[in-house]
Amino acid sequence: MTGSDSGDYDHLAPLFVELAATEEGPRREALRDELVTAHLPVAKHIARRFGHRGEPYEDLVQVATVGLINAVDRFDPERGSDFLSFAVPTIMGEVRKYFRDSSWSVRMPRRLKELHLAINSGTARLSQQLGRAPTPSELATHLGMTREEIHEGLAAGNAYQSASLDDMLMSDESSISLGSTLGTEDPEIEMIEQREALHPLLQRLPERERKIVIMRFFGNMTQTQIAQKVGISQMHVSRLLAKTLRQLREVLEEN
Amino acid sequence: MPTDARTNNEVGVSQLEDEGVELRMSADPTQLSIARAVAADIAMRQDFDLDSIEDLKLAVDETCSTLITMAAHKAVLSCRFVVNDDAVHVHAQVSSGSSAPPDRESFGWRVLTALVDSVTTWVDPASTGDGHVVHIDLVKRSAGAVNG
Repeated sequence: MTGSDSGDYDHLAPLFVELAATEEGPRREALRDELVTAHLPVAKHIARRFGHRGEPYEDLVQVATVGLINAVDRFDPERGSDFLSFAVPTIMGEVRKYFRDSSWSVRMPRRLKELHLAINSGTARLSQQLGRAPTPSELATHLGMTREEIHEGLAAGNAYQSASLDDMLMSDESSISLGSTLGTEDPEIEMIEQREALHPLLQRLPERERKIVIMRFFGNMTQTQIAQKVGISQMHVSRLLAKTLRQLREVLEEN
Repeated sequence: MPTDARTNNEVGVSQLEDEGVELRMSADPTQLSIARAVAADIAMRQDFDLDSIEDLKLAVDETCSTLITMAAHKAVLSCRFVVNDDAVHVHAQVSSGSSAPPDRESFGWRVLTALVDSVTTWVDPASTGDGHVVHIDLVKRSAGAVNG
């Protein structure tokens, strides 16, 4: 039996009829709770579908559950349609509203967000094909957009460097254990680390940041090569590098 | 180019026919994002590949940060971008009380050399006869295919 099989929920239909006929009170509360709890798998299923957009899964489940509660409250069994066909769009609407309203600490117009995401995934595909990072005009051709649009999207990525943007780029990537991807048994990096007698500051960086810094500035790897090796996007490598350099500089200046 | 007496936190941008774009700003870290944005925009419009765009951005950031740490009180940091033969040339300078050039053994210098095709630095006596001017020049080409 699968959770997406609507048949699983048919036995709950009489409860909706009862709920509609029950006055405000403990019995109504209990019915409502039971219906919400029983349909939670639907909310979780929808939350999972949006999971790759970079919001924490738990947050999405919560938002989807709010949508589910609204659906239970508003559903009218008299209308003849079944609950799921009413609830699914209601829950999805709630999740979409969440993405639209609150998930970006700096408000980026929706069109730019989508453009940014398209550029990010286009960059990943083209890098794979070309073996290097694409140019804006290659991206334009690949995505069927004008170069101006690509410029706009890239500039938007620069302008909206918010925590949410980083999260968005992390999404799938964060599930990869970086420790295991990078490994400590990379002979090349080991060699560079030993040869260069790195500044103690570098040694204090978190492992992932240190490896990325070493690969870029001592191993002569491009951001795209690092991205492929570590399993994160080039944009994310770029952000990590910029952030790490800034931190190193601040510490150096304090000393 | 002599630095003028402008001292408030303003950024001046001038577009010069043959001399590219020049940014003039207070030698203050709060101005770095402007220099980065201009660098990225110029590289983007030259159709540099995304790695090279990011490299130039980081390099300009590093260059300006280095100069800011060496700047005299209320100094103006100038950053000029010129496109020439598919390469972006960056000429950055700031007035400094010291004649010491940036430390070429430093981590920051290592970062610069890894990011761009060439980087040079030198120190001139200031034309006003008072103090010095520290220069850092960068040249960056796109690593990817350059489409005319």
